[in-house]
Amino acid sequence: MLAKVISYALSGLDGFDVAVEVDVNAGLPAYEVVGLADTAVKESRERVRAAIKNSLFDYPIKKITVNLAPADSKKEGSLYDLPIAVGVLAATEQIPAHSYKPFVIVGELSLDGGLRHIKGLMPILLSAMQNGYTKFIVPEENAKEASYISGIDVYAFSKLKEVVEFLSGEKEVMPVPTRTFSAQQAENKYNVDFSEVKGQQFARRAMEIAVAGGHNILMIGPPGAGKTLMAKCVPTIMPDMTFEEAVEVTKIHSVAGILDAGKGIVTARPFRTPHHTVTVPALMGGGAKAKPGEVSLAHNGVLFLDEMPEYQRQTLESLRQPLEDGTVTVSRAKQSLDYPAKFMLVASMNPCPCGNYGSKTQQCRCTAAEIRRYVSRLSGPLLDRIDLQVEVDGISYEELRFAPPSESSATIKERVEKARAVQRERYKGSGVHTNAQMTNAQMKKHCALSPECERILEAAFRKLNMTARASTRVLKVARTIADLDGSADIQSRHITEAVQYRSLDRKYWE
Amino acid sequence: MNYSDDDKALIMLSYESSYPRKRDALDSADSPKELYRDYSHADVTIEEMNRKGIVAITLNSKYYPSCLKNIYDPPQVLYCKGDVSLLSDTVKRLAIVGTRRITRYGKDVTREFARAFSDAGCCVVSGMARGVDSEAHKTVLAENGKTIAVLGSGTDVIYPPENAELYEEIASKGLIVSEYPPGTPPHAFRFPERNRIISGLSEGVLVTEAGAGSGSMITADLAIEQGKDLYVVPGNIFSQASKGCNDKIKELQAAAVTCPEDIIKVGKAHGDRENLAVQLTLEQARIISFLEDCESMHFSELLAKSGLGVNELTALLSEMEIYGFINKLSGNYYAIAQKL
Repeated sequence: MLAKVISYALSGLDGFDVAVEVDVNAGLPAYEVVGLADTAVKESRERVRAAIKNSLFDYPIKKITVNLAPADSKKEGSLYDLPIAVGVLAATEQIPAHSYKPFVIVGELSLDGGLRHIKGLMPILLSAMQNGYTKFIVPEENAKEASYISGIDVYAFSKLKEVVEFLSGEKEVMPVPTRTFSAQQAENKYNVDFSEVKGQQFARRAMEIAVAGGHNILMIGPPGAGKTLMAKCVPTIMPDMTFEEAVEVTKIHSVAGILDAGKGIVTARPFRTPHHTVTVPALMGGGAKAKPGEVSLAHNGVLFLDEMPEYQRQTLESLRQPLEDGTVTVSRAKQSLDYPAKFMLVASMNPCPCGNYGSKTQQCRCTAAEIRRYVSRLSGPLLDRIDLQVEVDGISYEELRFAPPSESSATIKERVEKARAVQRERYKGSGVHTNAQMTNAQMKKHCALSPECERILEAAFRKLNMTARASTRVLKVARTIADLDGSADIQSRHITEAVQYRSLDRKYWE
Repeated sequence: MNYSDDDKALIMLSYESSYPRKRDALDSADSPKELYRDYSHADVTIEEMNRKGIVAITLNSKYYPSCLKNIYDPPQVLYCKGDVSLLSDTVKRLAIVGTRRITRYGKDVTREFARAFSDAGCCVVSGMARGVDSEAHKTVLAENGKTIAVLGSGTDVIYPPENAELYEEIASKGLIVSEYPPGTPPHAFRFPERNRIISGLSEGVLVTEAGAGSGSMITADLAIEQGKDLYVVPGNIFSQASKGCNDKIKELQAAAVTCPEDIIKVGKAHGDRENLAVQLTLEQARIISFLEDCESMHFSELLAKSGLGVNELTALLSEMEIYGFINKLSGNYYAIAQKL
């Protein structure tokens, strides 16, 4: 007999439905899977057989053929175990025919007949919903992930036996209740806070500005100055994620298999720190399965590059496209996928290879040429996309021990949210959300300067030897400072302050 | 420029690799012509030099500076590019040399003295190396003064490479000099040799900042040997970068100088602080008063003392920097601009 069960496959963040056709026929006992299945799918044979037997059902001693249609696209992963098992049971009339028809079924089986967690459920549900499916059977372990999507009925089970009982009508089961999303629900979603950062008033201010205007930031400072801690604190002062943002992030994390099943949805903004030996495919996404890379995992959050000049040139240059477009295209022989990659870049570097240049207490051992080579590893076009470059101070023992408690993340976040609200109002309907994304035309309109400001900007450029390309950066940052200040126009004090956040333009390392 | 056969012989000899060994022979020969007979290549070489705008001044030439002639082992040929009149005996020349790894202090000192020398109409001689040398040349050029760079490579070889712009500027407004024929690559052993020309061309040598064993200490020793005036600027006793200078003072080999007036009569007054004080706002004056007490002060300390907000202080410091009252040093330190 033949049974046809609906399941789902993913390609990037989108998916398509897969018909799992199971044919059980007379012949020598065998089990064959066709339809471009990968090894994990082919190995389902053993799991399906053991799970059916251990759930006290009959496993047919016949020839079993499984076809995954459409037959020309690749299927991978273990999520077809459950639909195949249901198909086998249906084909041998252990489940009433058509009882399973309205459901999209996914799940991995364990040998004892239990159901296990699968990767990528959130994107599967969202994509299937768009294709008109409304009923789903999923493993219990994925229930939380599913509970945030309203408008569909998701039934979660922990055993194959329960699925069969449900389909045969022996047992009534309620769909998973829908939760309402609240980003604030987890109080301690970050385990750091800005109040732990001692001293560093200058750098803290720069961080606040960067987050308020969506600017990328580079910290320059000696080892042990607290650059990493400050970078980790950045997500804590970013506005809470909206539901849409959280779903986008969850989809990506679900596909990558790093989603915390206990949480179900990502509420904390991601903070990703790829090591400096990271390869281009690991950063941008790739591999045989075209998986999302670090830039996509950092979507709606922070990508932190510690010791930026240590990264390979090629790796750094590849960042330019996602920084510009907010998406990354991963092309592989069989497929080409788009992943979102809208992140805030936070980078850090030492002032010189030994780290002591400019220090009051330590002698720098680097030659001028070494320092130049070190700094020049960051190309102009890349630096062009980093609006703020600030120096971070080496912290002294006294500061570490006796510094007065500093402002908490919550206080800073309030100011950031206010400034963001101003920007949302200003750029309404233009596809731009923050000052950092301003187009040239918008800059003309929103960064108009009074003659006095023009004069001081010009003086700053002459006096501080700044390069020409710094001007747009300074203006954008000045705009953000004005927004934080609650001022409609950019005033001279905003410009003079913005100038201080352009360390690398000043040819310090001459 | 027309070259005599003697000149041509000297030029061609300087191209030969055995040139240093032939020097003794040159001294004992009646005329260089005895050592060099084949002139077939000389015209091509001179043609090439003319094309590059390089002029050769030999020991016999009337343009050869007499102060250089009197040192031990004067160069037989000087390859020059630029304003040759700077070699004239009527020009007052002073050398400024020092470490290649310059500190903030060294920079300030070098600028201060180079500016004063240049304002007083002196020609500043240096070696176009990194650090103090470059700083001295740049300052003089910015003041529209005259400067001579003595190279340790061929006159047309730019070393260090990042000084390409500076090289062009000196060649057009000042003078580039070398005893090595065009095309000679920079080798370490040539730099100490060239130092004798720096001190030889100058009335006195000023070392603004130099560590112990620095190449500029060689220049200092040569200045003493050649009977020139040696001036050094004292530094912080804990600073390795000033150890060479401080040692010279300790050994009583050099005159310690603390202002340009110690060496020359300064013609122009250099802006004075009293005038500026009038233009400062109250807050700016407060910042200046904090900074006056110390070499430099950190942002966080200024923040604590001034009682201003981070954004207010940042804006204020930035403004003061733009107007040239203070300098921002690396590591978020601020100091009063030496120019004041």
